[in-house]
Amino acid sequence: MAEVLQLLISGVAQGMIYALIAFGYNMTFSTSKTINFSLGNLLMTGGVVGLLVYMNTKTGEPNGNSFFVALVAVVIVCSVLGALVYKVAVEPSVKRGSDFAWVLATLAFGIIVKNAVEQLWSTDDFRFSSPLGSEPLRIAGAGIFPQEILIIIVSILIVTAVELFRRKSILGKAIQAVSEDKMTAGLMGINQNFVILFSFMLSTAIAGVAGVLIAPLTFVSATMGTVLGVKAYGAAIIGGLESGFGMLAGGLLLGLSESLTARYISTGYKDTPGFVILILIILFKPSGLFGKKAIKKV
Amino acid sequence: MSAPILSIKNLIVRYGSIEALSGVSLEVMPGELVALIGSNGSGKTSMLKTISGQMKAFSGDILFSGQSISGAPAHKVTGLGIAHCPEGRKVFATQSVEDNLLLGAFLRSRKETRKEISFEMDAAFEMFPILKERRHQLAGTLSGGQQQMLAIARALMSKPQLLMLDEPSMGLAPIIIDEVFSIIQRLRDSKKATVLLVEQLAFRALQVADRAYVLEQGHIRLTGTGSELLGHPEVRKAYLGNRAAKGDKNP
Repeated sequence: MAEVLQLLISGVAQGMIYALIAFGYNMTFSTSKTINFSLGNLLMTGGVVGLLVYMNTKTGEPNGNSFFVALVAVVIVCSVLGALVYKVAVEPSVKRGSDFAWVLATLAFGIIVKNAVEQLWSTDDFRFSSPLGSEPLRIAGAGIFPQEILIIIVSILIVTAVELFRRKSILGKAIQAVSEDKMTAGLMGINQNFVILFSFMLSTAIAGVAGVLIAPLTFVSATMGTVLGVKAYGAAIIGGLESGFGMLAGGLLLGLSESLTARYISTGYKDTPGFVILILIILFKPSGLFGKKAIKKV
Repeated sequence: MSAPILSIKNLIVRYGSIEALSGVSLEVMPGELVALIGSNGSGKTSMLKTISGQMKAFSGDILFSGQSISGAPAHKVTGLGIAHCPEGRKVFATQSVEDNLLLGAFLRSRKETRKEISFEMDAAFEMFPILKERRHQLAGTLSGGQQQMLAIARALMSKPQLLMLDEPSMGLAPIIIDEVFSIIQRLRDSKKATVLLVEQLAFRALQVADRAYVLEQGHIRLTGTGSELLGHPEVRKAYLGNRAAKGDKNP
Protein backbone atom coordinates (compact mmCIF):
# COMPACT_ATOMS: atom_id res chain seq x y z
CA MET A 1 0.00 0.00 0.00
CA ALA A 2 2.74 2.40 1.04
CA GLU A 3 4.66 1.46 -2.05
CA VAL A 4 1.69 2.10 -4.33
CA LEU A 5 1.21 5.54 -2.81
CA GLN A 6 4.86 6.29 -3.40
CA LEU A 7 4.65 5.17 -7.02
CA LEU A 8 1.48 7.16 -7.61
CA ILE A 9 2.96 10.36 -6.20
CA SER A 10 6.14 10.12 -8.24
CA GLY A 11 4.15 9.14 -11.33
CA VAL A 12 1.87 12.15 -10.90
CA ALA A 13 4.85 14.46 -10.33
CA GLN A 14 6.55 13.23 -13.50
CA GLY A 15 3.24 13.43 -15.35
CA MET A 16 2.73 17.02 -14.27
CA ILE A 17 6.05 17.95 -15.84
CA TYR A 18 4.92 16.39 -19.12
CA ALA A 19 1.60 18.18 -18.73
CA LEU A 20 3.27 21.58 -18.29
CA ILE A 21 5.28 21.14 -21.48
CA ALA A 22 2.28 19.74 -23.33
CA PHE A 23 0.30 22.74 -22.13
CA GLY A 24 2.85 24.88 -23.95
CA TYR A 25 2.37 22.91 -27.17
CA ASN A 26 -1.39 23.34 -26.78
CA MET A 27 -1.06 27.09 -26.19
CA THR A 28 0.84 27.99 -29.34
CA PHE A 29 -1.11 25.45 -31.38
CA SER A 30 -4.39 27.04 -30.42
CA THR A 31 -3.32 30.58 -31.34
CA SER A 32 -1.16 29.95 -34.39
CA LYS A 33 -1.56 26.29 -35.44
CA THR A 34 2.16 25.90 -34.89
CA ILE A 35 4.02 23.90 -32.25
CA ASN A 36 7.22 25.02 -30.63
CA PHE A 37 9.34 21.86 -30.86
CA SER A 38 12.22 23.56 -29.07
CA LEU A 39 10.19 23.60 -25.86
CA GLY A 40 12.10 20.62 -24.37
CA ASN A 41 15.43 22.35 -24.85
CA LEU A 42 14.04 25.63 -23.58
CA LEU A 43 12.97 23.74 -20.45
CA MET A 44 16.64 22.88 -20.11
CA THR A 45 17.61 26.56 -20.27
CA GLY A 46 15.14 27.07 -17.43
CA GLY A 47 16.95 24.40 -15.42
CA VAL A 48 20.34 25.93 -16.23
CA VAL A 49 19.34 29.49 -15.37
CA GLY A 50 17.74 28.24 -12.15
CA LEU A 51 20.93 26.36 -11.30
CA LEU A 52 23.18 29.34 -11.95
CA VAL A 53 21.05 31.61 -9.78
CA TYR A 54 20.27 29.21 -6.96
CA MET A 55 23.25 26.87 -6.69
CA ASN A 56 26.98 27.16 -6.26
CA THR A 57 28.12 24.79 -9.01
CA LYS A 58 31.57 24.32 -7.44
CA THR A 59 30.36 23.07 -4.08
CA GLY A 60 27.05 21.62 -5.21
CA GLU A 61 25.26 23.51 -2.44
CA PRO A 62 22.74 26.38 -2.60
CA ASN A 63 24.53 29.71 -2.81
CA GLY A 64 22.12 31.60 -0.60
CA ASN A 65 19.87 33.20 -3.22
CA SER A 66 16.21 32.51 -2.64
CA PHE A 67 14.48 29.88 -4.76
CA PHE A 68 11.85 32.45 -5.66
CA VAL A 69 14.49 34.75 -7.18
CA ALA A 70 15.65 31.82 -9.29
CA LEU A 71 12.08 31.26 -10.52
CA VAL A 72 11.69 34.93 -11.46
CA ALA A 73 14.99 34.86 -13.37
CA VAL A 74 13.86 31.73 -15.21
CA VAL A 75 10.52 33.27 -16.16
CA ILE A 76 12.24 36.38 -17.54
CA VAL A 77 14.95 34.56 -19.50
CA CYS A 78 12.55 31.98 -20.89
CA SER A 79 9.92 34.55 -21.95
CA VAL A 80 12.62 36.30 -23.95
CA LEU A 81 13.67 32.99 -25.51
CA GLY A 82 10.01 32.27 -26.32
CA ALA A 83 9.74 35.60 -28.12
CA LEU A 84 12.99 34.85 -29.93
CA VAL A 85 11.91 31.42 -31.15
CA TYR A 86 8.71 32.96 -32.52
CA LYS A 87 10.49 35.85 -34.25
CA VAL A 88 13.36 33.76 -35.62
CA ALA A 89 11.85 30.37 -36.35
CA VAL A 90 8.09 30.64 -36.63
CA GLU A 91 7.08 34.04 -37.95
CA PRO A 92 9.35 34.00 -41.04
CA SER A 93 8.13 30.58 -42.13
CA VAL A 94 4.47 31.45 -41.55
CA LYS A 95 4.91 34.77 -43.39
CA ARG A 96 6.29 33.00 -46.43
CA GLY A 97 3.18 30.86 -46.44
CA SER A 98 5.03 27.64 -45.65
CA ASP A 99 2.88 25.07 -43.87
CA PHE A 100 5.71 23.07 -42.35
CA ALA A 101 8.96 25.05 -42.31
CA TRP A 102 8.30 25.97 -38.67
CA VAL A 103 8.60 22.29 -37.71
CA LEU A 104 12.22 22.13 -38.81
CA ALA A 105 12.94 25.69 -37.75
CA THR A 106 11.77 25.18 -34.15
CA LEU A 107 13.55 21.80 -33.93
CA ALA A 108 16.72 23.48 -35.18
CA PHE A 109 16.31 26.32 -32.70
CA GLY A 110 16.19 23.75 -29.90
CA ILE A 111 19.30 21.96 -31.15
CA ILE A 112 21.16 25.26 -31.45
CA VAL A 113 20.22 26.18 -27.88
CA LYS A 114 21.34 22.77 -26.60
CA ASN A 115 24.67 22.90 -28.45
CA ALA A 116 25.26 26.48 -27.39
CA VAL A 117 24.79 25.50 -23.74
CA GLU A 118 27.20 22.59 -24.19
CA GLN A 119 29.81 24.75 -25.92
CA LEU A 120 29.56 27.87 -23.82
CA TRP A 121 28.83 26.32 -20.45
CA SER A 122 29.35 22.66 -19.75
CA THR A 123 28.55 19.13 -20.82
CA ASP A 124 28.45 17.86 -17.22
CA ASP A 125 25.53 16.97 -14.99
CA PHE A 126 24.96 19.23 -12.01
CA ARG A 127 23.17 18.56 -8.77
CA PHE A 128 20.28 20.89 -7.94
CA SER A 129 19.15 20.70 -4.35
CA SER A 130 15.48 20.91 -3.60
CA PRO A 131 14.48 24.05 -1.68
CA LEU A 132 12.53 21.70 0.56
CA GLY A 133 15.46 19.40 1.30
CA SER A 134 16.19 15.92 0.00
CA GLU A 135 15.04 13.97 3.06
CA PRO A 136 12.00 11.83 2.02
CA LEU A 137 8.82 12.50 3.97
CA ARG A 138 7.29 9.48 5.65
CA ILE A 139 3.62 9.48 4.81
CA ALA A 140 1.66 6.33 5.72
CA GLY A 141 4.88 4.38 5.52
CA ALA A 142 5.73 5.64 2.04
CA GLY A 143 8.86 7.68 1.34
CA ILE A 144 7.96 10.72 -0.70
CA PHE A 145 10.36 13.44 -1.84
CA PRO A 146 9.12 16.89 -0.80
CA GLN A 147 10.12 18.12 -4.27
CA GLU A 148 7.50 15.78 -5.77
CA ILE A 149 4.83 17.43 -3.64
CA LEU A 150 6.14 20.84 -4.70
CA ILE A 151 5.97 19.85 -8.38
CA ILE A 152 2.37 18.73 -8.03
CA ILE A 153 1.28 21.85 -6.13
CA VAL A 154 3.05 24.35 -8.38
CA SER A 155 1.85 22.61 -11.55
CA ILE A 156 -1.74 22.63 -10.37
CA LEU A 157 -1.39 26.32 -9.51
CA ILE A 158 0.05 27.11 -12.95
CA VAL A 159 -2.60 25.15 -14.84
CA THR A 160 -5.41 26.70 -12.79
CA ALA A 161 -4.03 30.21 -13.17
CA VAL A 162 -3.67 29.84 -16.93
CA GLU A 163 -7.18 28.41 -17.30
CA LEU A 164 -8.64 31.23 -15.19
CA PHE A 165 -6.70 33.75 -17.23
CA ARG A 166 -8.04 32.24 -20.46
CA ARG A 167 -11.63 32.29 -19.28
CA LYS A 168 -11.92 35.41 -17.14
CA SER A 169 -9.55 38.09 -18.43
CA ILE A 170 -10.24 40.07 -21.56
CA LEU A 171 -6.79 39.21 -22.94
CA GLY A 172 -7.52 35.52 -22.32
CA LYS A 173 -10.79 35.87 -24.19
CA ALA A 174 -8.93 37.61 -26.99
CA ILE A 175 -6.55 34.64 -27.16
CA GLN A 176 -9.55 32.31 -27.44
CA ALA A 177 -10.98 34.54 -30.15
CA VAL A 178 -7.74 34.40 -32.15
CA SER A 179 -7.65 30.63 -31.88
CA GLU A 180 -11.22 30.42 -33.09
CA ASP A 181 -11.18 32.93 -35.94
CA LYS A 182 -8.18 35.15 -36.67
CA MET A 183 -9.92 37.33 -39.25
CA THR A 184 -12.84 38.22 -37.03
CA ALA A 185 -10.57 38.68 -34.02
CA GLY A 186 -8.76 41.30 -36.08
CA LEU A 187 -12.08 43.10 -36.63
CA MET A 188 -12.48 43.31 -32.85
CA GLY A 189 -9.22 45.24 -32.77
CA ILE A 190 -7.20 42.30 -31.49
CA ASN A 191 -3.64 42.29 -32.78
CA GLN A 192 -3.15 38.63 -33.58
CA ASN A 193 0.62 38.92 -33.93
CA PHE A 194 0.80 40.14 -30.37
CA VAL A 195 -1.47 37.36 -29.12
CA ILE A 196 0.61 34.70 -30.85
CA LEU A 197 3.88 36.20 -29.57
CA PHE A 198 2.39 36.25 -26.08
CA SER A 199 1.40 32.58 -26.30
CA PHE A 200 4.98 31.67 -27.24
CA MET A 201 6.38 33.68 -24.35
CA LEU A 202 3.95 32.28 -21.79
CA SER A 203 4.41 28.66 -22.91
CA THR A 204 8.20 28.94 -22.82
CA ALA A 205 8.15 30.57 -19.39
CA ILE A 206 6.02 27.69 -18.09
CA ALA A 207 8.42 25.15 -19.62
CA GLY A 208 11.32 26.97 -17.91
CA VAL A 209 9.58 26.71 -14.55
CA ALA A 210 9.02 23.01 -15.25
CA GLY A 211 12.78 22.72 -15.81
CA VAL A 212 13.51 24.17 -12.38
CA LEU A 213 10.87 21.96 -10.78
CA ILE A 214 12.23 18.72 -12.22
CA ALA A 215 15.92 19.63 -11.71
CA PRO A 216 16.20 18.38 -8.09
CA LEU A 217 14.83 14.96 -9.14
CA THR A 218 17.13 14.54 -12.12
CA PHE A 219 20.25 16.56 -12.74
CA VAL A 220 20.80 19.73 -14.67
CA SER A 221 22.57 19.22 -17.97
CA ALA A 222 22.37 20.42 -21.54
CA THR A 223 20.55 17.24 -22.53
CA MET A 224 17.97 17.17 -19.73
CA GLY A 225 15.12 18.56 -21.86
CA THR A 226 15.36 16.67 -25.13
CA VAL A 227 13.61 13.47 -24.07
CA LEU A 228 11.13 15.34 -21.87
CA GLY A 229 10.11 17.45 -24.86
CA VAL A 230 9.52 14.39 -27.04
CA LYS A 231 7.56 12.52 -24.38
CA ALA A 232 5.46 15.58 -23.60
CA TYR A 233 4.60 15.76 -27.29
CA GLY A 234 3.42 12.16 -26.99
CA ALA A 235 1.32 13.20 -23.99
CA ALA A 236 -0.14 16.08 -26.01
CA ILE A 237 -1.15 13.75 -28.83
CA ILE A 238 -2.68 11.28 -26.36
CA GLY A 239 -4.69 13.98 -24.62
CA GLY A 240 -5.66 15.81 -27.80
CA LEU A 241 -3.66 18.89 -28.80
CA GLU A 242 -6.70 21.15 -28.83
CA SER A 243 -7.72 20.57 -25.24
CA GLY A 244 -6.09 22.05 -22.15
CA PHE A 245 -7.63 19.34 -20.01
CA GLY A 246 -6.34 16.73 -22.43
CA MET A 247 -2.77 17.91 -21.77
CA LEU A 248 -3.22 17.17 -18.10
CA ALA A 249 -4.75 13.77 -18.78
CA GLY A 250 -2.09 12.81 -21.34
CA GLY A 251 0.74 13.89 -19.06
CA LEU A 252 -0.60 12.02 -16.05
CA LEU A 253 -1.29 8.87 -18.09
CA LEU A 254 2.27 8.88 -19.35
CA GLY A 255 3.83 9.68 -15.96
CA LEU A 256 1.86 7.02 -14.11
CA SER A 257 2.42 4.35 -16.74
CA GLU A 258 6.15 4.98 -16.48
CA SER A 259 6.40 4.80 -12.72
CA LEU A 260 4.18 1.71 -12.44
CA THR A 261 5.90 -0.16 -15.28
CA ALA A 262 9.33 0.66 -13.89
CA ARG A 263 8.39 -0.91 -10.56
CA TYR A 264 6.27 -3.89 -11.56
CA ILE A 265 7.81 -4.92 -14.87
CA SER A 266 11.23 -3.46 -15.47
CA THR A 267 12.82 -0.03 -15.60
CA GLY A 268 14.03 -0.95 -19.08
CA TYR A 269 10.43 -1.16 -20.28
CA LYS A 270 9.11 1.93 -18.52
CA ASP A 271 8.58 3.88 -21.73
CA THR A 272 6.82 1.05 -23.55
CA PRO A 273 3.22 1.45 -22.27
CA GLY A 274 3.28 5.15 -23.09
CA PHE A 275 4.22 4.47 -26.68
CA VAL A 276 1.70 1.63 -26.93
CA ILE A 277 -1.02 4.03 -25.74
CA LEU A 278 0.23 6.64 -28.22
CA ILE A 279 0.08 4.21 -31.12
CA LEU A 280 -3.40 3.01 -30.12
CA ILE A 281 -4.60 6.61 -29.89
CA ILE A 282 -3.18 7.45 -33.31
CA LEU A 283 -4.85 4.36 -34.77
CA PHE A 284 -8.27 4.62 -33.17
CA LYS A 285 -8.77 8.20 -31.97
CA PRO A 286 -6.37 10.45 -33.85
CA SER A 287 -7.85 13.61 -32.35
CA GLY A 288 -6.75 12.42 -28.90
CA LEU A 289 -8.72 11.54 -25.79
CA PHE A 290 -10.21 15.02 -25.34
CA GLY A 291 -9.53 16.55 -28.74
CA LYS A 292 -12.22 17.83 -31.04
CA LYS A 293 -12.69 15.99 -34.28
CA ALA A 294 -10.85 17.81 -37.00
CA ILE A 295 -13.51 18.72 -39.51
CA LYS A 296 -12.10 20.69 -42.37
CA LYS A 297 -14.62 22.68 -44.32
CA VAL A 298 -13.67 22.96 -47.95
CA MET B 1 -22.25 70.24 -46.29
CA SER B 2 -19.79 68.61 -43.93
CA ALA B 3 -16.83 66.55 -45.05
CA PRO B 4 -17.40 62.87 -45.85
CA ILE B 5 -16.58 60.44 -43.04
CA LEU B 6 -15.53 57.82 -45.59
CA SER B 7 -14.22 58.60 -49.00
CA ILE B 8 -12.99 55.96 -51.42
CA LYS B 9 -11.05 57.04 -54.44
CA ASN B 10 -10.48 54.93 -57.50
CA LEU B 11 -10.09 51.72 -55.55
CA ILE B 12 -8.69 48.72 -57.39
CA VAL B 13 -8.62 45.34 -55.64
CA ARG B 14 -7.30 42.16 -57.20
CA TYR B 15 -7.29 38.49 -56.32
CA GLY B 16 -4.25 37.41 -58.28
CA SER B 17 -5.06 38.35 -61.86
CA ILE B 18 -8.80 38.66 -61.25
CA GLU B 19 -10.03 42.15 -60.58
CA ALA B 20 -12.71 42.35 -57.88
CA LEU B 21 -12.97 46.14 -57.89
CA SER B 22 -11.89 48.15 -60.91
CA GLY B 23 -11.61 51.75 -59.87
CA VAL B 24 -14.50 52.35 -57.49
CA SER B 25 -15.13 55.71 -55.84
CA LEU B 26 -17.76 56.37 -53.22
CA GLU B 27 -18.48 58.63 -50.30
CA VAL B 28 -20.35 58.30 -47.05
CA MET B 29 -21.44 61.41 -45.12
CA PRO B 30 -21.66 61.47 -41.33
CA GLY B 31 -25.02 60.16 -40.13
CA GLU B 32 -25.94 58.67 -43.47
CA LEU B 33 -27.08 55.16 -44.21
CA VAL B 34 -25.52 54.21 -47.51
CA ALA B 35 -26.37 50.93 -49.19
CA LEU B 36 -24.17 49.08 -51.60
CA ILE B 37 -26.20 46.67 -53.68
CA GLY B 38 -25.32 44.30 -56.45
CA SER B 39 -25.43 40.65 -57.36
CA ASN B 40 -23.14 37.87 -56.19
CA GLY B 41 -19.52 38.46 -57.10
CA SER B 42 -19.99 42.13 -57.91
CA GLY B 43 -17.31 43.08 -55.37
CA LYS B 44 -19.42 44.22 -52.40
CA THR B 45 -17.71 42.09 -49.79
CA SER B 46 -14.26 42.81 -51.24
CA MET B 47 -15.02 46.48 -50.79
CA LEU B 48 -15.80 46.12 -47.09
CA LYS B 49 -12.86 43.77 -46.50
CA THR B 50 -10.51 46.26 -48.09
CA ILE B 51 -11.87 49.14 -46.01
CA SER B 52 -11.48 47.16 -42.77
CA GLY B 53 -7.97 46.04 -43.64
CA GLN B 54 -8.65 42.35 -44.19
CA MET B 55 -7.59 42.73 -47.80
CA LYS B 56 -4.99 44.97 -49.40
CA ALA B 57 -5.89 47.36 -52.18
CA PHE B 58 -3.91 47.18 -55.40
CA SER B 59 -4.25 50.92 -55.90
CA GLY B 60 -6.49 53.81 -54.96
CA ASP B 61 -7.06 55.42 -51.61
CA ILE B 62 -9.39 55.05 -48.65
CA LEU B 63 -9.86 58.14 -46.48
CA PHE B 64 -11.56 57.91 -43.11
CA SER B 65 -12.29 61.30 -41.54
CA GLY B 66 -9.86 62.73 -44.06
CA GLN B 67 -7.03 60.41 -43.06
CA SER B 68 -5.72 57.68 -45.36
CA ILE B 69 -6.24 54.20 -43.90
CA SER B 70 -5.25 52.31 -47.01
CA GLY B 71 -3.05 49.34 -46.10
CA ALA B 72 -3.58 49.59 -42.34
CA PRO B 73 -4.07 46.20 -40.63
CA ALA B 74 -7.56 45.28 -39.43
CA HIS B 75 -6.90 45.81 -35.74
CA LYS B 76 -5.67 49.37 -36.40
CA VAL B 77 -8.66 50.24 -38.56
CA THR B 78 -11.01 49.06 -35.82
CA GLY B 79 -9.16 51.32 -33.41
CA LEU B 80 -9.86 54.31 -35.63
CA GLY B 81 -13.60 53.83 -35.27
CA ILE B 82 -14.75 51.51 -38.05
CA ALA B 83 -16.67 48.40 -37.04
CA HIS B 84 -17.10 45.70 -39.64
CA CYS B 85 -19.87 43.19 -39.03
CA PRO B 86 -18.69 40.44 -41.36
CA GLU B 87 -20.61 38.31 -43.83
CA GLY B 88 -21.86 35.11 -42.23
CA ARG B 89 -22.00 36.74 -38.77
CA LYS B 90 -18.79 35.12 -37.50
CA VAL B 91 -19.68 35.18 -33.82
CA PHE B 92 -17.16 33.44 -31.54
CA ALA B 93 -19.11 30.20 -31.23
CA THR B 94 -17.22 28.73 -28.26
CA GLN B 95 -17.63 31.84 -26.11
CA SER B 96 -20.69 33.16 -24.33
CA VAL B 97 -22.91 35.93 -25.66
CA GLU B 98 -21.57 38.25 -22.99
CA ASP B 99 -17.95 37.42 -23.84
CA ASN B 100 -18.64 38.11 -27.51
CA LEU B 101 -19.90 41.55 -26.56
CA LEU B 102 -16.89 42.17 -24.33
CA LEU B 103 -14.62 41.21 -27.23
CA GLY B 104 -16.43 43.78 -29.35
CA ALA B 105 -15.25 46.35 -26.81
CA PHE B 106 -11.73 44.86 -26.69
CA LEU B 107 -9.91 48.06 -27.57
CA ARG B 108 -12.03 50.14 -25.21
CA SER B 109 -11.26 47.79 -22.33
CA ARG B 110 -7.69 49.08 -22.32
CA LYS B 111 -8.65 52.67 -21.64
CA GLU B 112 -12.10 52.52 -20.13
CA THR B 113 -13.46 51.06 -16.95
CA ARG B 114 -15.68 48.05 -16.81
CA LYS B 115 -18.54 50.36 -15.86
CA GLU B 116 -18.31 52.39 -19.06
CA ILE B 117 -18.30 49.22 -21.10
CA SER B 118 -21.23 47.73 -19.25
CA PHE B 119 -23.16 50.89 -20.15
CA GLU B 120 -22.94 49.89 -23.84
CA MET B 121 -23.69 46.31 -22.89
CA ASP B 122 -26.92 47.42 -21.24
CA ALA B 123 -27.78 49.47 -24.32
CA ALA B 124 -27.18 46.38 -26.46
CA PHE B 125 -29.42 44.30 -24.20
CA GLU B 126 -32.10 46.96 -24.44
CA MET B 127 -31.92 46.90 -28.21
CA PHE B 128 -31.76 43.10 -28.37
CA PRO B 129 -33.64 41.70 -25.36
CA ILE B 130 -33.11 38.13 -26.56
CA LEU B 131 -29.37 38.54 -26.02
CA LYS B 132 -29.93 39.49 -22.41
CA GLU B 133 -31.97 36.35 -21.91
CA ARG B 134 -29.17 34.27 -23.39
CA ARG B 135 -26.20 36.21 -22.10
CA HIS B 136 -24.51 33.16 -20.54
CA GLN B 137 -25.24 30.83 -23.44
CA LEU B 138 -22.50 29.92 -25.92
CA ALA B 139 -22.87 32.00 -29.07
CA GLY B 140 -22.66 28.88 -31.23
CA THR B 141 -25.94 27.61 -29.76
CA LEU B 142 -27.92 30.67 -30.86
CA SER B 143 -30.18 30.58 -33.90
CA GLY B 144 -29.03 32.30 -37.09
CA GLY B 145 -31.13 35.38 -36.43
CA GLN B 146 -29.91 35.68 -32.87
CA GLN B 147 -26.32 35.30 -34.05
CA GLN B 148 -26.90 38.15 -36.50
CA MET B 149 -28.24 40.35 -33.70
CA LEU B 150 -25.22 39.41 -31.61
CA ALA B 151 -22.87 40.26 -34.47
CA ILE B 152 -24.48 43.70 -34.87
CA ALA B 153 -24.50 44.29 -31.11
CA ARG B 154 -20.85 43.21 -30.90
CA ALA B 155 -19.89 45.65 -33.64
CA LEU B 156 -21.70 48.46 -31.81
CA MET B 157 -19.80 47.69 -28.59
CA SER B 158 -16.74 49.45 -30.00
CA LYS B 159 -18.80 52.69 -30.27
CA PRO B 160 -17.90 52.99 -33.96
CA GLN B 161 -18.21 56.14 -36.00
CA LEU B 162 -18.82 53.98 -39.05
CA LEU B 163 -20.65 50.65 -38.94
CA MET B 164 -20.27 48.37 -41.94
CA LEU B 165 -22.82 45.57 -42.24
CA ASP B 166 -22.11 42.80 -44.72
CA GLU B 167 -25.21 40.88 -45.85
CA PRO B 168 -27.07 40.96 -42.54
CA SER B 169 -30.01 39.11 -44.11
CA MET B 170 -27.98 36.18 -45.38
CA GLY B 171 -29.45 32.78 -44.61
CA LEU B 172 -32.24 34.12 -42.42
CA ALA B 173 -35.96 33.39 -42.48
CA PRO B 174 -38.10 36.21 -43.97
CA ILE B 175 -39.64 37.10 -40.62
CA ILE B 176 -36.16 37.46 -39.08
CA ILE B 177 -35.05 39.54 -42.04
CA ASP B 178 -37.90 41.94 -41.21
CA GLU B 179 -36.54 42.19 -37.69
CA VAL B 180 -32.98 42.79 -38.84
CA PHE B 181 -34.08 45.58 -41.16
CA SER B 182 -36.19 47.20 -38.50
CA ILE B 183 -33.05 47.26 -36.35
CA ILE B 184 -31.07 48.84 -39.16
CA GLN B 185 -33.81 51.42 -39.56
CA ARG B 186 -33.71 52.14 -35.85
CA LEU B 187 -29.95 52.58 -36.03
CA ARG B 188 -30.40 55.10 -38.81
CA ASP B 189 -33.18 57.00 -37.04
CA SER B 190 -31.27 57.16 -33.78
CA LYS B 191 -28.30 58.65 -35.70
CA LYS B 192 -26.05 56.61 -33.44
CA ALA B 193 -23.76 55.57 -36.21
CA THR B 194 -23.09 56.11 -39.85
CA VAL B 195 -23.88 52.89 -41.67
CA LEU B 196 -22.52 51.35 -44.84
CA LEU B 197 -24.80 48.46 -45.68
CA VAL B 198 -23.96 45.76 -48.18
CA GLU B 199 -26.97 43.73 -49.19
CA GLN B 200 -28.21 41.39 -51.87
CA LEU B 201 -31.82 42.07 -51.04
CA ALA B 202 -31.77 45.27 -53.03
CA PHE B 203 -35.38 46.21 -52.44
CA ARG B 204 -35.08 46.02 -48.65
CA ALA B 205 -31.78 47.86 -48.64
CA LEU B 206 -33.04 50.68 -50.85
CA GLN B 207 -36.08 51.11 -48.61
CA VAL B 208 -33.96 51.98 -45.59
CA ALA B 209 -31.04 53.69 -47.29
CA ASP B 210 -30.51 57.44 -47.62
CA ARG B 211 -28.35 56.87 -50.65
CA ALA B 212 -27.17 53.83 -52.53
CA TYR B 213 -24.61 52.65 -55.02
CA VAL B 214 -25.19 49.81 -57.47
CA LEU B 215 -22.08 47.74 -57.97
CA GLU B 216 -21.72 45.56 -61.03
CA GLN B 217 -18.63 43.51 -61.81
CA GLY B 218 -16.34 45.81 -59.91
CA HIS B 219 -17.76 49.07 -61.30
CA ILE B 220 -20.28 51.50 -59.85
CA ARG B 221 -23.18 51.34 -62.31
CA LEU B 222 -25.64 53.72 -60.69
CA THR B 223 -25.93 55.95 -57.72
CA GLY B 224 -28.71 57.99 -56.16
CA THR B 225 -31.00 58.25 -53.19
CA GLY B 226 -32.76 55.11 -52.01
CA SER B 227 -36.10 56.14 -53.45
CA GLU B 228 -34.60 57.29 -56.77
CA LEU B 229 -33.01 53.92 -57.29
CA LEU B 230 -36.15 52.10 -56.20
CA GLY B 231 -37.88 53.76 -59.08
CA HIS B 232 -35.07 53.38 -61.57
CA PRO B 233 -36.15 51.05 -64.39
CA GLU B 234 -32.74 49.44 -64.76
CA VAL B 235 -32.51 48.67 -61.06
CA ARG B 236 -36.04 47.32 -61.02
CA LYS B 237 -35.31 45.04 -63.92
CA ALA B 238 -31.95 43.77 -62.78
CA TYR B 239 -32.31 43.50 -59.03
CA LEU B 240 -35.90 43.71 -57.92
CA GLY B 241 -37.36 40.83 -59.88
CA ASN B 242 -40.19 40.74 -62.37
CA ARG B 243 -42.99 41.58 -60.01
CA ALA B 244 -41.24 44.72 -58.93
CA ALA B 245 -40.52 45.62 -62.53
CA LYS B 246 -44.26 45.46 -63.21
CA GLY B 247 -44.87 47.97 -60.47
CA ASP B 248 -45.72 45.73 -57.52
CA LYS B 249 -44.71 47.67 -54.44
CA ASN B 250 -44.25 44.60 -52.27
CA PRO B 251 -42.43 41.80 -54.05
